[in-house]
Amino acid sequence: MKAVASSRLRFTASAPSTLFLRALAAFLTMMAGLLVARGQSPAPPSIKVVNLIPASLSGESNQDSEPFLAIQNQNPQVMVASAFTPNPFSMTGNAPVYVSQDGGKTWVLNAITPVQRMTCDITHAMATGENHPRGDLHAGTLACATGITLDESESNDVSVSTTMNVQSTRGNVDQPFVRALGVASGDRIYVGVNDFNQANGRTATIDVSVDGGATYKSIPIETRKTAGQDGPSVRPAVANDGTVYAAFFGWRKFNGKTATSDIVVVRDDAAATGANPFQVLKDPSDKLPGRIIVKGVSIPWSNAPALGQERIGSTLSIAVDPNHSGTVYVSWADKGSKGDIYTLHVRSSTDRGVTWSKTDLPGTTIHNATNVALAVANNGVVGFLYQQLAGGRWVTHLAQSHDGFMTSRDFVLATVRADQPVGQFLPYLGDYDYLLSVGNEFRGVFCANNTPDFANFPQGVTYQRAADFNAKTLNDGSGNPVPISIDPFYFSVPVMP
Amino acid sequence: MKISPLFLKVGLGGAGLWLALWLVLSGCTQAAAPQATDRAALAGKSSIIFSGTVSQLVATSFPDVPKSAQTIVVRVDSVEKKPAAVSLKKGDNVTVEVKDVSAFQEGTHATFYTDGWIFGAGVAVKELGHELGAAVEPAPMTSAGKTSGQSQDQMNDQELLDRMKASDFVVVGRVTDVRPWNVPKRKSGAPSRVSEHDPDWHEAVVEIQSVLKGGKVKGNKVIVRFPSRNDVAWVSSPKFTKNQRAIFCLNRDQSTGAPTTTMGGTQVNAYTCLGHGDALPISEEARVRSLLKNQ
Repeated sequence: MKAVASSRLRFTASAPSTLFLRALAAFLTMMAGLLVARGQSPAPPSIKVVNLIPASLSGESNQDSEPFLAIQNQNPQVMVASAFTPNPFSMTGNAPVYVSQDGGKTWVLNAITPVQRMTCDITHAMATGENHPRGDLHAGTLACATGITLDESESNDVSVSTTMNVQSTRGNVDQPFVRALGVASGDRIYVGVNDFNQANGRTATIDVSVDGGATYKSIPIETRKTAGQDGPSVRPAVANDGTVYAAFFGWRKFNGKTATSDIVVVRDDAAATGANPFQVLKDPSDKLPGRIIVKGVSIPWSNAPALGQERIGSTLSIAVDPNHSGTVYVSWADKGSKGDIYTLHVRSSTDRGVTWSKTDLPGTTIHNATNVALAVANNGVVGFLYQQLAGGRWVTHLAQSHDGFMTSRDFVLATVRADQPVGQFLPYLGDYDYLLSVGNEFRGVFCANNTPDFANFPQGVTYQRAADFNAKTLNDGSGNPVPISIDPFYFSVPVMP
Repeated sequence: MKISPLFLKVGLGGAGLWLALWLVLSGCTQAAAPQATDRAALAGKSSIIFSGTVSQLVATSFPDVPKSAQTIVVRVDSVEKKPAAVSLKKGDNVTVEVKDVSAFQEGTHATFYTDGWIFGAGVAVKELGHELGAAVEPAPMTSAGKTSGQSQDQMNDQELLDRMKASDFVVVGRVTDVRPWNVPKRKSGAPSRVSEHDPDWHEAVVEIQSVLKGGKVKGNKVIVRFPSRNDVAWVSSPKFTKNQRAIFCLNRDQSTGAPTTTMGGTQVNAYTCLGHGDALPISEEARVRSLLKNQ
């Protein structure tokens, strides 16, 4: 990838800076000057990376993996993040979310989801059609008790402690993935799910609500024969004009270790309110709804550590230009080449998904990587968040490009040891992370080893929890040591002009 | 509830005791003062107990906590009980959403029995009960609540009691065998489901040594199904090994779709152990018996 390395350390953390770090910063600043001299742009200012764990939970050592983020677009100071974070005070209380009301500088934990103690999947979006300044948060959660139950729920105000209102519930589904669009008439909500209740193993499904969640309709989007089911990830994306895309893995064969899968995209031009939703895009090969971007890729399926301590098998993201709904990007991971465990690819379409780039966009074939998340900013710049296992470290990248990755800029947000801490469960970092754009920022969340070490966070970092950056240790706020663990991190990166 | 001077700590000196006696005798107190058994029950329900001094009314101690007529700020004098993850110590300011704000004035000393609410730069809690006056003697709690550093994974008494009430059986037993178990294929021909949350079911044969709740079990053995997968969906589920002794909270299998199994040639009910507190260490036996006896 033609990338400019990040070039500025910011000392935003609570721990004091050291002479060494100052010297390092000076050196990196000098290097940035050299890069500029060669005609490359310096890193823009005000990149922000924040550890989400609040100061009052400094004693926690949970594996807070699989992060997600929602931004209230009308009031982007308000955000909600989530992770596999248990209720900190009760085995039977509600699972919490993280809430920020100051643009991500500080976060609090508020136990408002309808799930007991901890979700086993959660995504959410904040639509703005109902004029609630700290809402409307629409969440899809899985509760795992005697079975797995999906709740589709809503909060009108995420700052209060009222439990989210469950609007729809059912069992036998997997991996809800929520997107939403606020329009004058209310909120439109799109939840991608792998729905085992669908007939004939055509499980890729979008739950659609065009009335703020009061009613949902489950719409199967798979039209072809499957291997008994589709892959877990079903990802919707919504443009401002109401165009809705969804990407999914059309599993054609599955032997327990490898899925042979098509990468399929569907589209709807009427907010999925018509008689035959998501059937606009047809594939030229069989004239069936669902454009096949790539046919028959091999996707390794491992429900055990395979990429470092992480499992693999269903990595997928789709993003649409919010203002030009004809431009859409898709990324997925598959077996890749020999010697490679898991390889990311990014393809694009500029004609509403009818035709797609035949090969990966330049520099977007990323080896041994996962947790891809794409987003497109208002000016058309695409952001590409991913986590790569390299040299025994998990390296979290945010690349961005305004020209389909002919040129790009890459920021390393975190580079942490991959062998520590030892995983408590799977997923280790998450089956996904997330990226959004608002105004001139890319905002997102990822999970990482929380060792307080400036060298691990090249763009700087702020910890709310008690941390000693000199000793590189955590404590409980009273000086007692706390072991390192996996924490969620929020970031904001300016969109390149 | 009325305050009882018997429960007031004399640590602040005789003045505190005499003040409390005066309050009781004069009938001026608006305090909530549980009897010993009530206090133990209240302590069992509370996740955070601390003593402190009210510093502000209609206020909050950190941003992002909704201020209301019911919120007060309390400066912590001592912490009696809290989860290990929670950072709370003497001198911290805590927001308390109280039930009856008229019970408090600035400068009021009280012990607060609370549940967690919002965690940010500080701690915000919701009052379950309180006792006016200086710090009380620690309530006679069972093992889950006896330290100020309660494990994040430990159920409090009320939670454990609720769990046992919902169980078909509570037994003390030993695992004599563990084996993989596959869900039988459905007659409908519906395809099997592959998900990252697949439980990878296993069966444990449990030899029952005593029944704490429920009737006699034929043959003194039960089949207990449990997910062996280390997925987030099942991270709270106990995983069993051969010769393990435990207290098992059992429910008839409503998860796998195959509620019965064969044991010794006989069709019997299968049971599951799926959640927090469904398998407790033997060291918890006295606590379990006490809770069941006193329910």
